[in-house]
Amino acid sequence: MTNGKVKGLARLLGGAALALAIGGAAGAADLTSIAILTPEQGTDYGWNQQGIEGAKAAGAAAGVEVIVAENLGYGDVRPTLQELAEDGAGLLIAHASGYNTAAPEVGAQYDVPVAVVDTPQSLKEGAVADYTASGHQGAYLAGVLAAKMTRTGTVGIVVSGEPPSWNAQSTAFAEGVKATQPDTVIRYAVIGPAAYSDAAGGKRVTESLIAAGADIIFGQGNGSSFGMLQAVETTKATDGGKVLFIDVIGDKTPIDKGFLLSSVLWNLEPVYAGMIADVKAGIYGTHNYDINLKDGSVDLLKTANIPDDIWTEVQAVRQDIIDGKITVTPKYDAASVHALVTGN
Amino acid sequence: MSGLFTDAFIIALLAGVVAATVPLLLAGLGEQISEKAGVLNIGIEGMMLMGAYGGFYVAWASGNLWLGFLGGGIGGMVVGALMALFCVRMGLNQIVVGIALTLGAEGVTALLHYEQFSRLYPRLSVMAPLPIPGLSQIPIVGPALFTREPVVYLAFALVPLFVWLFRRTQLGLMLQAAGDKPAALDTAGVSVLKIRTIAVLATGLLVGFGGAFLSIVAAGVFVPFMTHGNGFIGIVLAMLARGRPTWVMGGALVFGTCLSATTALQVAGVDVPTDIIQMLPFVAVMAVLLVAGRKARLPAALGAAYVRGER
Repeated sequence: MTNGKVKGLARLLGGAALALAIGGAAGAADLTSIAILTPEQGTDYGWNQQGIEGAKAAGAAAGVEVIVAENLGYGDVRPTLQELAEDGAGLLIAHASGYNTAAPEVGAQYDVPVAVVDTPQSLKEGAVADYTASGHQGAYLAGVLAAKMTRTGTVGIVVSGEPPSWNAQSTAFAEGVKATQPDTVIRYAVIGPAAYSDAAGGKRVTESLIAAGADIIFGQGNGSSFGMLQAVETTKATDGGKVLFIDVIGDKTPIDKGFLLSSVLWNLEPVYAGMIADVKAGIYGTHNYDINLKDGSVDLLKTANIPDDIWTEVQAVRQDIIDGKITVTPKYDAASVHALVTGN
Repeated sequence: MSGLFTDAFIIALLAGVVAATVPLLLAGLGEQISEKAGVLNIGIEGMMLMGAYGGFYVAWASGNLWLGFLGGGIGGMVVGALMALFCVRMGLNQIVVGIALTLGAEGVTALLHYEQFSRLYPRLSVMAPLPIPGLSQIPIVGPALFTREPVVYLAFALVPLFVWLFRRTQLGLMLQAAGDKPAALDTAGVSVLKIRTIAVLATGLLVGFGGAFLSIVAAGVFVPFMTHGNGFIGIVLAMLARGRPTWVMGGALVFGTCLSATTALQVAGVDVPTDIIQMLPFVAVMAVLLVAGRKARLPAALGAAYVRGER
């Protein structure tokens, strides 16, 4: 090959790269629709509902259409991902840890950026970003609240699995309890492997924890949390009194029968808004996303079951976290949870 | 940890064994009838889910938990009727149809739930227990095992009934023949398709009851996908028990016991990875039934559609 031909080829390749870059940037700036995929219906007062409502709110604010594919179950969602990519979605939000293998593969296949959960290490510029959102700061406050409210001196944590988000919140809850009342006993049980929809298991395990002395249950479970709720509504604590429930992500007040103590509320709208902005700016995949107390994307629900004086004390701790006087470090591994609840 | 194992905690664990065992027992016995007759009924997860939804809906709408169980049985039978139509009458592939029915039931029940309950999530009242005179007075065991909902006793009473049915009745013999030598049964003047259809419908009824137990008693609420593989575990129990109802019960009890044991280990704070603890039920059931049931056999014509004159 002659020198001139080499230079010509280099120019051709350079031009092609420039065209791709410009084309890519134009495509990103022209983001007109995004899609979110959820395993269950967006009416669970929890993970799925928060995901869909957050995406819709972020899309509306940015003038981007949001396509919702809900109730997809926990199996293989490749066909749905492919269909959404072919329909022109400029961002695929795979709102379940079970989707975090398929989504990046389909995203790469169709050159569409994807958002996944529970795999921060999957960050890839222009392609993949993670939003292992954890309300650990809110869970710490929930632990403070539980320690101040327990009559029996025992609180329980029931989870439907051990994904990183749940682990970070369980750990923070336990730390909040111990920081407030070090002698409080914390009982912990997992319903089963990925038992997110196992309502019967949720009820069974929660009843066991109540029998073990817990009068406050911190439950993380999607569909299985309704079984936990049924357990606290139908089972008396060992002291004969009422068992109270602390939920996560959503606000179950509309269906509460007087047993909801609080909830670690998530707001995923800022997360998705950030993703949309980053896709438009062509910097998607350069960083992951999270939620926190400071920007209001995490908060603790106030219910009528919380006395005003205790709520004031909890709010003081909240301010200390925001001000940096108390640091709540997220611990995403199950071993950290077990270390705090073992050997009570 | 010494203060943990109080009477109340042990009673709750034993009650948990029962709550986990009954749906598996009903699913396993239901599957066993189909398998006896030569139908590998992969669709029982779907039947169970439909039973859970039907049971919950009727119980909620009527305010009568017993009517709910009837609704659950009918829900399971509707899916069973489709299984019978496609696999027994039309001779389609039993595994493919079974999977399709399960996926279809998941979609239908999720859609119905979305339309009716997804904003309210109604919870049912607790079914009143029926204490067994005398036995219910035994410390710990009495309140845990003999102060249960009447449906629990009925579920366990099915086991000796099935033993009698399979061993002592002409219907049991015909079920066996439909699974082992369908051509011989046909030659004797008995319709193989009729026997298999009856078996699959009975499976739907029983498994539907199992689903209704999950939503009415075990959870008190319906949520999509709530059967969480109970139907598939029922298939495993029936396959490993190989025609013996008592072994289905044994397997279901081992599974339920191990589930409660995993809860006990976790609540006690035993520092073992949760995944390992939660393997316990599956490993235990496989080990027990593989060792105990290895001499038993499955029906010769299991999974094969019957076409008269075809070899």
